[in-house]
Amino acid sequence: MVRLPYLTALTTLFSYGLLFAFGQMRDFFRKILDLWKSKNLQGYAPICLGLEDFYTRRLYLRIQDCFNRPIASAPDAWIDVVERYSKDSNKTLHRTSKINKCLNLGSYNYLGFAAADEYCTPRVIESLKQYSPSTCSARVDGGTTKLHAELEEVVARFVRKPAAILFGMGYATNSAIIPALIGKGGLIISDSLNHNSIVNGARGSGATVRVFQHNSAAHLEEVLREQIAEGQPRTHRPWKKIIVIIEGIYSMEGELCKLPEIIAVCKKYKAYTYLDEAHSIGAIGKSGRGVCELLGVDTADMDIMMGTFTKSFGSCGGYIAASKEIIQHLKNTCPAHFYATSMSPPAAQQVISAIKVVLGEDGSNRGAQKLAQIRDNSNFFRSELHKMGFEVLGDKDSPVMPIMLYNPAKIPAFSRECLRRNLAVVTVAFPATPLLLARARICISASHTREDMIKALEVISKVGDLVGIKYFPVEPQKHLTDKIQKKLE
Amino acid sequence: MAKLYVETTPPPDLNKNTEWFMYPGVWTTYILILFFMWLLVLSVFGCTAGIAWTTVNLVHFAITYQFFHWRKGTPFAEDQGIYNNLTWWEQIDNGKQLTRNRKFLTVVPVVLYLIASHTTDYQQPMLFLNTLAVIILVVAKFPNMHKVRIFGINAGR
Repeated sequence: MVRLPYLTALTTLFSYGLLFAFGQMRDFFRKILDLWKSKNLQGYAPICLGLEDFYTRRLYLRIQDCFNRPIASAPDAWIDVVERYSKDSNKTLHRTSKINKCLNLGSYNYLGFAAADEYCTPRVIESLKQYSPSTCSARVDGGTTKLHAELEEVVARFVRKPAAILFGMGYATNSAIIPALIGKGGLIISDSLNHNSIVNGARGSGATVRVFQHNSAAHLEEVLREQIAEGQPRTHRPWKKIIVIIEGIYSMEGELCKLPEIIAVCKKYKAYTYLDEAHSIGAIGKSGRGVCELLGVDTADMDIMMGTFTKSFGSCGGYIAASKEIIQHLKNTCPAHFYATSMSPPAAQQVISAIKVVLGEDGSNRGAQKLAQIRDNSNFFRSELHKMGFEVLGDKDSPVMPIMLYNPAKIPAFSRECLRRNLAVVTVAFPATPLLLARARICISASHTREDMIKALEVISKVGDLVGIKYFPVEPQKHLTDKIQKKLE
Repeated sequence: MAKLYVETTPPPDLNKNTEWFMYPGVWTTYILILFFMWLLVLSVFGCTAGIAWTTVNLVHFAITYQFFHWRKGTPFAEDQGIYNNLTWWEQIDNGKQLTRNRKFLTVVPVVLYLIASHTTDYQQPMLFLNTLAVIILVVAKFPNMHKVRIFGINAGR
């Protein structure tokens, strides 16, 4: 449920209409000018139809300097951003050699493992010397090292499932596993705000895909009942299997999924559940075990739990944790296991060490400190932003907080003004988010200190005033307390 | 002015080309754009109110015909051409007919026609053009015309 002022909705729609109209006019004139230029296609069909990349050419390229910023250091609490300039109004960007040291509010560095860590980094360098950066082989051929086997056991133990399987890339985990689990004749019911990797995997599997309203267990039940009653399209035979796919923390909203209700509905109708914990594993829960621990759901009720190592563990890659039979089946059928190069050994060692720190098995309590720190940081930041009058989404304890911008012009304004004041933020617009709901997404890390956050809040407040995104001004209560103090005196 | 707030949930529409139409404020924006276009035409050309409404009606016909009923597909390459045979009108509301959005969009050209013909006092060349515009637009929006291509016009690519 997002609130926005009605006038803002009207102006946002009008702005997008204006941008669209200008883009169409420019395309029209481009078509006329190109009639004069000779086409050297020689009978070949054009690679893209003019309509397909309209959004990229006419809207995205105008504000291209707010995305794809190259960095020159590890993505710790402070990050070096390379400055770029453009001579043809953002169609091409050139890097300079100047570097801007900015406060990093954009990296998924939830537990602070992105920079050198006293326990992890020596072990990673050790494994780099021993195993070299790449296994140069698929898992099935020669790419399973001792580290991979150990990491699978460690992950399975951490997530509290019987077994796990690893992949070198988080996105590829979803898009390669879903087709291996379900095919034509099956039904996938996925949350309407699921990540693109899940959408791609679902499309690639050949199963029928239906969508239920975000986080609504009631709508999920309605969709399940309707689909089970109707059966497969045209033949009306019963579905071969039904998988419901949800995420732990939705990265664009920062909200947790309503896991207990959804699991109850799935159990009632005997549908399998697939939980994508990319953003929640390691970041929430008392011991960092993710959304199941936070909401008190038994992991035996989830059929398949997927996660990535990129966000909380400072590495790269993804995993699937499920029962021994499912993991054995995946090892025998999943193409990402057979043909894709296995995870890099130093990256695997980084995850093993990071999980040991989180669980406290390295002999210190840094893991528990980091978890407490990220929880306190997120709650502090979110409550301060609320007090300033921003519209901030996300549940309590979630380290992802999107600040709503709405208007398309405010996206580059916010991004550029923040960069000018040495604050690196990530802004997201259509099509990653719905059209009206453009936002700046803040990711809080355990390595942000209180001073860092206070400085960030000052900058965001100033930029917020400049750009005009304080949509919900809180009534100033200072006058009230002053009056009370005067009365007491 | 007291700030009115609206609440929205992201609609469960997978087609990014059409889901923007399901938000609050879209109908009002559409009507306000038409009204301001009329004011613009009046101020630029200094013509009578009736000629201005006729101009707005005809320009509205050209623009909406081109974007709703002629152009097919979506401006996003990631959709991989699933909607390449469907015009925008055929894509909205997932192809369901007679929804609130469709009824609203059918009523707007009719109301524009009534205003334009009333303010020009039903005089001849304007009346003919306005009637032609409204007939084409309303017929194109009938549920029976879903995915129909008369004489194969606009059927290719």
